[in-house]
Amino acid sequence: MRPLRGGPIAVLVALSMAMLAVPASRPGGRAAAPEASAGSRLPSLHAAGAQREAFDPRALLDRRRGTMRRPAGPHEFYFTRAIYSSGWGWNRWAIDYPKSDRQFMTIVNRLISIDASEYENAIRLDDPDLRKYPFLYALEVGDIALGPAEIEGLRNYLLAGGFLVIDDFWGSWQWATFEQQIRRVFPEHPIVDIPLDHPIFNAVYRIDEILQVPAIGNFWGGRTWEQDGYKAHARGIFDEHGRLMVVINWNTDLGDAWEWAERPEYPLKFSTFAVEMGINFIVYAMSH
Amino acid sequence: MFEPIFEFLFKYRPLVFEQGDFAIRAPWTIALGAAAVAAALTLRTYAQVRGNSQPLDRGVLAAIRLGAIAVVAFCLLQPVVVLSSVVPQQNFLGVLVDDSRSMQIADRDETERLRFVEDRLRAGGDLRTALEERFALRFFGFSTETDRLGDVDELTYRGTRTHLGQALERAHEELTGVPLSGLVVVTDGADNADGGLGESLLPIQAAGIPVFTVGLGRETFDRDIQLSRVETPRRVLRGAALVVDAVVTHRGYRGETVTVQVEDEGRIVGSEEVELGRDGEPRTVRLRFTAAEEGPRLFTFRVSPRPGEMVTQNNVRDALMLVENHSEKVLYFEGEPRFEVKFLRRAVADDENLHVSILQRTAENKFMRLDVEDADDLVGGFPTTRADLYRYSGLVLGSIEANYFTPDQLRMIADFVNNRGGGLLMLGSQRSFSEGGYAGTPVADVLPVVLGEAEGEEDFFVEVAVEPTRAGATHAATQIAETEELSVDRWNELPPITIVNPITEVKPGATTLLTSASDDLVVLAFQRYGAGKSLAFPVQDSWMWQMHADIAVEDMTHETFWRRMLRWLVDGVPDQITAELPADRVEPGQAVTILATVGDANFEEINNSAVIASVTHPDGDFTDRRMEWTAEADGEYRATFIPPTEGFYEVRIEALSGDELIGEDVTWLQVAPSDAEYYDSTMRTALLDRVAEETGGRRYTPDTVASLPDDVQFVGGGVTVVEERDLWDMPVLLLLLGTLVLGEWGYRRFRGLA
Repeated sequence: MRPLRGGPIAVLVALSMAMLAVPASRPGGRAAAPEASAGSRLPSLHAAGAQREAFDPRALLDRRRGTMRRPAGPHEFYFTRAIYSSGWGWNRWAIDYPKSDRQFMTIVNRLISIDASEYENAIRLDDPDLRKYPFLYALEVGDIALGPAEIEGLRNYLLAGGFLVIDDFWGSWQWATFEQQIRRVFPEHPIVDIPLDHPIFNAVYRIDEILQVPAIGNFWGGRTWEQDGYKAHARGIFDEHGRLMVVINWNTDLGDAWEWAERPEYPLKFSTFAVEMGINFIVYAMSH
Repeated sequence: MFEPIFEFLFKYRPLVFEQGDFAIRAPWTIALGAAAVAAALTLRTYAQVRGNSQPLDRGVLAAIRLGAIAVVAFCLLQPVVVLSSVVPQQNFLGVLVDDSRSMQIADRDETERLRFVEDRLRAGGDLRTALEERFALRFFGFSTETDRLGDVDELTYRGTRTHLGQALERAHEELTGVPLSGLVVVTDGADNADGGLGESLLPIQAAGIPVFTVGLGRETFDRDIQLSRVETPRRVLRGAALVVDAVVTHRGYRGETVTVQVEDEGRIVGSEEVELGRDGEPRTVRLRFTAAEEGPRLFTFRVSPRPGEMVTQNNVRDALMLVENHSEKVLYFEGEPRFEVKFLRRAVADDENLHVSILQRTAENKFMRLDVEDADDLVGGFPTTRADLYRYSGLVLGSIEANYFTPDQLRMIADFVNNRGGGLLMLGSQRSFSEGGYAGTPVADVLPVVLGEAEGEEDFFVEVAVEPTRAGATHAATQIAETEELSVDRWNELPPITIVNPITEVKPGATTLLTSASDDLVVLAFQRYGAGKSLAFPVQDSWMWQMHADIAVEDMTHETFWRRMLRWLVDGVPDQITAELPADRVEPGQAVTILATVGDANFEEINNSAVIASVTHPDGDFTDRRMEWTAEADGEYRATFIPPTEGFYEVRIEALSGDELIGEDVTWLQVAPSDAEYYDSTMRTALLDRVAEETGGRRYTPDTVASLPDDVQFVGGGVTVVEERDLWDMPVLLLLLGTLVLGEWGYRRFRGLA
């Protein structure tokens, strides 16, 4: 019953990364084609996998109306990334996509007994099928600019039972932007710090400290922070029943740690922490 | 109609001929000799006379003449009927009069049934006078008890039950030793005693005492509605959504629509309309309501009286239910992180009467415990002993393969249902049912569905729309809307869910409640198994009924479904100690049997426990009874007590092993006058006929009862005298003789012979 601690996790993560065949990719770059067998339990996934070989999220977004979701299939869990509107006109939702998602799912499938799709799954906030994926990940929300349909979609999603993990936005300026936008979704629910004794920090792994996980570029630059975000926070939004709906990882970049976990120069400490946090989020979201 | 004609022709009533023996008083040789001579002369005369007659004419005329001679000869024989007749004023006659409330029913020309007694059996009444001329009368009044009466004036007609057999026994015993001619029972025939009537009749038959029954009331009512039956559980969890069947019968209201209401101690909590069918045809009404208030609750089911009803008291029935406010424990064992866990937990989170502990495997031999009772609860994983598992009332198996369990644990799960009486629910997933390797295991025996081979079906995956079967449309567990119709509509509207377990067959005795709309897939099935029940719900993502875009955020269908499912899962699951009363309503002074079953933590019956029944009276007094092992069944204990007054009695059972308390249970008893007299309160001729026929008596109605004194005189026992009654002067003989003479004359005229 005792959760695996950092040491074994680090070894597992390292081993997993060594075995990964996922090539490194730049943010927004192309992902490698998934193996056909990965989606073989649902015929429609074959087609989806084949299409993904030539997948370019920007091109898809350029068509404006498209969604990059995959149909709900036999997998119990899909690491689902939110496609949201950005104020700067740049598709920041796709940062680290899809390598980070795939790499994280590969690790998740090896560490816990979960039937999770190994592939990315992105969906627009105003897509009715959003609610088929009760776990949602969004990052780089510092310039998020939600439209009315997105606000309604996200609010209904969360009130119905969906769970949102926010990641990778930094500093007071981006916080202000994000806070202003999320207030439009939940004007009635405050954002509060999640205490370390909250069950989400002990769902699978015990988290004793919120580390600041740097983007790989910043780490190479010798720092873990960006802008004025010197201290990492894990905040949340709870519903009227006290149930956690949104986890906000501010001044930290778990996604980069998942994405670059196979790189020897990226500190294992951060990758391990990011994986532990991510797995806790998933297991908590699936049970609370 | 038949009897008066018979009596006119034959001088006496049929009973005289039935009871008597035929004899002739005159020397039969002389009479027969004279008749033979007359016959011979007749034949000779007709043989010799020719005239213009034909042989046929002579034959007919001779036959007619011979017939006339035979009639005369019969009279000359001085025939008599010999019968035994009671000696006037030397015999006793027991008169038993129904003293129950049903005698107040005015169903004949708006006249109460008791009016017969008032008019004809009181001093001065014609029947009373006729009987008193022949017998010494002894009166008894009977209802719940039988009492000797000085006169019928003492009757009150307030008895709440009618124990006819007991009344006959009592009167027979009381009149033993006196010359008893018979017993007369004046009643409407209602007998609502628990015991059989046959045993009561045996000693009366053996003694040769005829019982004469006088039936009062009508055999059918012109216009009446009756709430014939209501079946409710004895105990339910607070907040339970109940579906209760009430049966309505009627006469005279065909095509009318009536409303059946259910009240929780005066507050209407449910109602349903029903259109009445043909006369006497029972119609079942399905009432839905919630047991919201805890404690012993008296639910009243009522059909509003309609104009012209003969009996309105039978429109109402009460049911005592113990609404319990404890938390039933359910263990949900899940083999992997699944959204079913999250949404099932959320669905039942607000249900204070369900405590769902979750054991979820997150990695190999790594578990997450949720909503456990204490720090040590389930710390070792899935229970390895029966005592640990049997603490739960319900067990839900999610995506957990059979190989996870040891053979003993699989046996234990089966025993959990079979012996402990728990509820087992298996959910759909790649690791359950056949796909989870359960085929051939003890758990497969318990499940309500047939598990086939999983080989070659790994890729089975189908999205299905769910629809209720006929049974599912009315079952309490699958009611997801306020009415049956709305519930069916709602099922048909729900978004599709997915299934990876291709189950198409249920076991004999199992019931399918939900099925796929387009395939033959089983979606929800259940069966009773041993002391418990098992459910199969091979759906892997019922949370879609919460999260699908077609479901409004505030929609409660998913929550309602799971609350009802889990409440149903644990409904009726026994505890270690269970208290039971064969009847939940008795009358003051009526003995009550208390039964208890006692088991240990493994639910093995204990026969040497110290079991105490503590009865709390309505006024706060206590009665303690030590319960004794019945020796009829393991773990079964029995005690009796007699509630002296009306009200609600709490019966608390405590069982001890040495000084250690094993457990306790509480049930309730309502003590009130019975209203059974008003149900099926028409005159029951079949019962009265049976009593009369089996004892050699007769049944009468107020219209035919005038012959009772005569009948008793000839049928009854006691001090009797042999009596001969002449038959030669029966009018039928004169009529026959005249007919023959006239016939001869007419024949002659017709044939031109005279």
